[in-house]
Amino acid sequence: MAPRVIFLLLAASALQAEDAESLFVRRVWPLFQEKCLACHGNDEKKIKADYDMRTLESAIKGGESGVKALVPGKPDESPLYLASTRKHDDWEPMPPKEADQLKSEQLAWIKEWIAGGAPWPDEAKRNAIAKASADKWSAEDGITVKVKGALTPEWANRRYKPESLWGYQPVKKPVLSAQSSVHPVDALLAVKEPAPEADARTLIRRATFDLTGLPPTPEEVAAFESDWSDVSDRSDAWLRLINRLLESPHYGERMARHWLDVVRYADSSGFANDYERGNAWRYRDYVVRSFNADKPFDQFIVAQIAGDEMQESDAGTPARKDAASAGKSARITPDSELLIATGFLRMGPWELTGMEVAKVARQRFLDDVTNSVGETFLAHSLQCARCHDHKFDPVPTHDYYSMQACFATTQLTEREAPFLKSENTSGFEEKKYLEARRAEHLAVLKALDEKLLRNASKWLAEKKIDPAKWNAAVAQAKQGGGKNAKKGFSDVFGAARQILTKQGLPEDQYPPKLVGFEPQDFGNERVARKGLERLKWEMERYEPYAFSVYNGVTIPMVNVYQPLRMPGDRMKNGELEQTAILGGGDPFSPTTKVKPGVLSATSQISNLEFQIAEGVEGRRTALAKWIASKNNPLTTRTIVNRLWLWHFGQAIAGNPNNFGSTGKKPTHPELLDFLAATLVEKGWSVKEMHRLIMTSAAYRRTSFPTRSKPDELENSSYVTFTPRRLMAEELRDAMLSITGELNPTLGCIPNRPEINIEVAMQPRMVMGTFAAAWVPNPLPQQRHRRSLYALKIRGLRDPFMEVFNEPAPDFSCEAREVSTVTPQVFSLFNGQASYDRALALANRVLKEKAADPISRVFELTFGRKPAADEKAACTTHWQQMEVKQAQTSFSKPKQPLEVRREAVEENTGEKFSFQEKLPGYADFVPDLQPADCDAKTRALADVCLVLLNSNEFAYLY
Amino acid sequence: MKTSFFPCSGGRALHAPTRREFVYGLGTSLGSVALTSLLAAEQKGPLAPKQPMVPAKAKNCIFLMMEGGPSHIDCFDPKPMLEKFHLKEFTREGKMKSAMESGKRYYVKSPFTFAQHGQSGAWMSEPWQHLAKVADELCFYRGCQVDSVNHPTAMYQMNCGNRFGGDPAIGSWVTYGLGSVNQDLPGFIVLPEISYPQGGSANWGNGYLPAHFQGTALRSKGSPILDLQPPPGITPEHQRANLDLLGKLNAKHADEHPWHDELKARMNNYELAFRMQMQVPEVIDLEKEDAKTKELYGIGKDATDAFGRKCLLARKLVEKGVRFVQLYNGTWDSHDYIERAHGNLIRGVDQPIAALITDLKQRGLLDDTLIVWCGEFGRTPDNGVRGGTAYGRDHNPKAMTIWMAGGGCKAGHSIGATDDRGMEAIEEVHHVRDLHVTLLRLLGLDDNKLTFYHGGRFKQLSQIGGQVIEKLIA
Repeated sequence: MAPRVIFLLLAASALQAEDAESLFVRRVWPLFQEKCLACHGNDEKKIKADYDMRTLESAIKGGESGVKALVPGKPDESPLYLASTRKHDDWEPMPPKEADQLKSEQLAWIKEWIAGGAPWPDEAKRNAIAKASADKWSAEDGITVKVKGALTPEWANRRYKPESLWGYQPVKKPVLSAQSSVHPVDALLAVKEPAPEADARTLIRRATFDLTGLPPTPEEVAAFESDWSDVSDRSDAWLRLINRLLESPHYGERMARHWLDVVRYADSSGFANDYERGNAWRYRDYVVRSFNADKPFDQFIVAQIAGDEMQESDAGTPARKDAASAGKSARITPDSELLIATGFLRMGPWELTGMEVAKVARQRFLDDVTNSVGETFLAHSLQCARCHDHKFDPVPTHDYYSMQACFATTQLTEREAPFLKSENTSGFEEKKYLEARRAEHLAVLKALDEKLLRNASKWLAEKKIDPAKWNAAVAQAKQGGGKNAKKGFSDVFGAARQILTKQGLPEDQYPPKLVGFEPQDFGNERVARKGLERLKWEMERYEPYAFSVYNGVTIPMVNVYQPLRMPGDRMKNGELEQTAILGGGDPFSPTTKVKPGVLSATSQISNLEFQIAEGVEGRRTALAKWIASKNNPLTTRTIVNRLWLWHFGQAIAGNPNNFGSTGKKPTHPELLDFLAATLVEKGWSVKEMHRLIMTSAAYRRTSFPTRSKPDELENSSYVTFTPRRLMAEELRDAMLSITGELNPTLGCIPNRPEINIEVAMQPRMVMGTFAAAWVPNPLPQQRHRRSLYALKIRGLRDPFMEVFNEPAPDFSCEAREVSTVTPQVFSLFNGQASYDRALALANRVLKEKAADPISRVFELTFGRKPAADEKAACTTHWQQMEVKQAQTSFSKPKQPLEVRREAVEENTGEKFSFQEKLPGYADFVPDLQPADCDAKTRALADVCLVLLNSNEFAYLY
Repeated sequence: MKTSFFPCSGGRALHAPTRREFVYGLGTSLGSVALTSLLAAEQKGPLAPKQPMVPAKAKNCIFLMMEGGPSHIDCFDPKPMLEKFHLKEFTREGKMKSAMESGKRYYVKSPFTFAQHGQSGAWMSEPWQHLAKVADELCFYRGCQVDSVNHPTAMYQMNCGNRFGGDPAIGSWVTYGLGSVNQDLPGFIVLPEISYPQGGSANWGNGYLPAHFQGTALRSKGSPILDLQPPPGITPEHQRANLDLLGKLNAKHADEHPWHDELKARMNNYELAFRMQMQVPEVIDLEKEDAKTKELYGIGKDATDAFGRKCLLARKLVEKGVRFVQLYNGTWDSHDYIERAHGNLIRGVDQPIAALITDLKQRGLLDDTLIVWCGEFGRTPDNGVRGGTAYGRDHNPKAMTIWMAGGGCKAGHSIGATDDRGMEAIEEVHHVRDLHVTLLRLLGLDDNKLTFYHGGRFKQLSQIGGQVIEKLIA
């Protein structure tokens, strides 16, 4: 027997040698590409630990340890393999990242290949082997994807498991039995043993919060309960409710809140200056209008990406069509609505300070907008492909820059856009407070100018220099008005110096810059000067300009300290950008030039064609039309997935911004496709999708499980409806709504509710100065707008919103987090705002002379009457608290008319302080205060505060 | 009963309650004895202490953030060459020219004299009088570079790894990885200046990590934690009565939703908040410290009082088992008048920092506590000299000095070097991500394992992975 065994072994190893070669081509080499070569060869300058894996020789030789890394035939003596196992004592686990570790199958490949002698065919042979085996391999390993311009052939030939490409596959609408009376959503969810339907009160509360972000009134609850009691008419009653809510103007506000989370809306630029984006609110209101009008979603997409390239929209008032006839330009100015819509492109934080390199800042915009378009509409995080072909998805760097090329002629501007009739332009009279601040700053600068002139005289006297020349220059400067035309404030001193400089007087013969300035003066001068600069941005709120873009050449800039107006000639004085692949994402390392394009994988997998012109105009229109094509499976799936999330608190595909292979796969892919196909069939009507989703049994299910096994209650099972905590904005808006204080007016310049006073007055460093304090609007009805309208400053967040998980507007928020943390208790139980609401609620109920105040409070807060024990407990508490409250007296709080700022002056490193005037507080009318109320009201407010803090109020079932 | 400061689970939007959370949530209805035993059996709340991933050199970290960009050239990295070039014209060529460089620029020498201190011969400028006495405790690192030339982006990068902000701060990562010893206080506490730094509270934000790991700012003025106390007129007994009614209503509601554990978590939270309300003022009260200690930290002296209080509080917090304390000081952004500006700034922190090191050491805490001193970048050897003779320095992301003390760093050494003008790091040069990886390593964490799945990808402090700077480790 022995000889035969030997023969078999020999045969096996001969076989192995042949297999090992194709194993290398098919498995090992691609694995090296994916996991190793980034640090061990691709970048010659940055080879880690001196170990180069590009050739067999260097792979054998090893790195700085001096030990041979690869011993052909002996995997267990090859550190290359041992390190990959992550279990060997002598070798650091490779690849270093836990998340990158090799699967056992992959380890086995390496082991087998080394055992087989570690053959390493050259590139030509590799290609030949790959070609010869192509059919066999793709049948076994998945498919290759045809993309444009991959950086390496290995990446281009990478294979994908079909399931990881699910997002690209054409939408396939599942065929449902036509006869079935089962709702298609329920048919596709196929829930076994579902929980029963929720009761009427729960349903109207759920639907009203979901579609408007507000609670139903007790009267609405009663009406619906009565409707619902007619069992034969329930479907109609439910549909009537949905339709009523969809017609509510608050529907648009609710959808806008969701949408603005995704696009990162804020009213300021972020970063060092955090300048106000005075006209961003017009974009926010545009989103509200669009949802309310049920603007077809494809049009919504196109307007946001390319509105300025279009000529007129069907909404709003067309403006300034006379430009062409006036002969100014052959261009027809698009109407304001379309210009405003493109604010989307600029939602990311952005600025250009004098410290920064302009080209770098420009590239930041381009990277931001490319990624944002990808995440928002295509559920693709594209930034991964900025420096290298995408690690997991078929997105080559070439695609990234092709998409970026669509924006190469896009320029930022605050451009003229007359106000539309549909915009709310009330409240502009608040401008007077900004004017007051402006006057204050000008006065400070004037006083400092006068001080400098006095210091100058002293200086001349000390130096014993004849003041005649200086005095003459001052007189001359004063004649010219003494205003620095460029800066817009009084600067006689500077003007006089300039005159003498021009006369060629030696520098030691007239006073130096900022002569005799003390630390306090440095500080005050800077605060006033920068304050004027910041006001320019705030004043934009009231001006008919849109936060928008235009097409043209890139004009060189050194900094952006004021709103950017359109240039006279878009094609002059700048560079027509030619997009190229940037080595390492560095704008100073352009490599291959690219043309405008889209995700190239979609042409093969999704059968989606595109054509993008290379002209200055029209690139974005073409891109937008490709995105908004009814055949673009990424787009339609992305939006219906979000809509589902907004109703169920969980998406079908669990990462709504990432359909790539690392994102969570859809739990119900057929349902997702059904929704995507239906959206297109229904003319991209979002409202139709709400009707579809909400009429399902799944949406109407109770959140009470019939079985009591929590482990089995996976949310994605849809056995019950998953309850959710109210969002930060819902909490605040609901409180205002039930106290009757909510001002339901739609749209407006941002308002400023009262926020925690310590945060409001907190000094906040911005470039070179302090930002102005947060001063609330003077009147309660101005402050009590919906939270959507509150001024959103990136560097100053309302702590109430923040602790209740309002996302920071730096990154797109695909789904809100819900956490339960102690600061929430401090905000909601101790905070002034919720106490004010409790008092207002108590006051409302007592003013209404409700027969049973406790019941009324319950109805308003929970939409139900109290149970007997609840009523008893609350009544007792009310009485006891009245006794306590009767012993307490309250004084009326005083509003601060100024605040003292203390800081370290950056020029001198010395402490300095100044008074910041708060003119906005002069006319302040406070909310109802304890001092205004009797003990009975205040005691009822204690009960109200408890109810507003209760779990029943905070959770939606 | 030990419970966490933030006792409940985070990130709940997209997943179902876990078994652990469910059991944890049952706590209140079973009473504290049952809760304690349950917690002993199960893993505790999100801040429960965890074992380090790799052998740790330090358990806690005190991070001294000198916001604005302290000048290495005027603090710890003397450049005699600048004496020679003083007020000679400086030109920088190339693409990275920014508007900061408009106008003529000149080399400027340091206004301070330098001397070597300690056995190690560490270089320090003249205003560092007290730190000089503990020179041998320090490990200087001169090789670090960052990407951004603007304050907030550089601050974000130094604190959070990502210069565009919105990512978790290093203190959040550390508490996420290690939990915290004291469950009644936050694991990551920040002591900001009265005015917040550029970029605001995002500098200590939890980013995509659950909110329990957010830095909690103890404000130096007003209420230390926002709304820690109820509005005026509401006494503790009054509030207790309100809480009892809330407890009653919530208990009834929870009975109707027995499986919904978030409800219990939220109920616990109210009780914990009530206790905190009583305890926090005591924790931060420095008045009970003895006069000698206060004097050591420079408390009561105009220049050093503010930062002295922060340093003393930091020591107390670390003693109480807080994992990560970050102190802010600034602004060190001295574009002009560097002699006056940096002189004052150094004198404001010098004694308090030296006291902190001395105090920790005498209490046997220095070995377990890693102290880090840095800004978001260094400063340039050149300046526009717009203040006449009163020159300053501008932002320099390519060179800076960072130092560490305690916690397993290579005390008594200076690692890395900048060129002869202090313009760029040239020896042992590392991107800030490597510094982050090193700090995590000292605290027993492996950056490559300390990841969080978010937005469809595993994310980490270093963004893309980095390497440990071995030379900084003892």
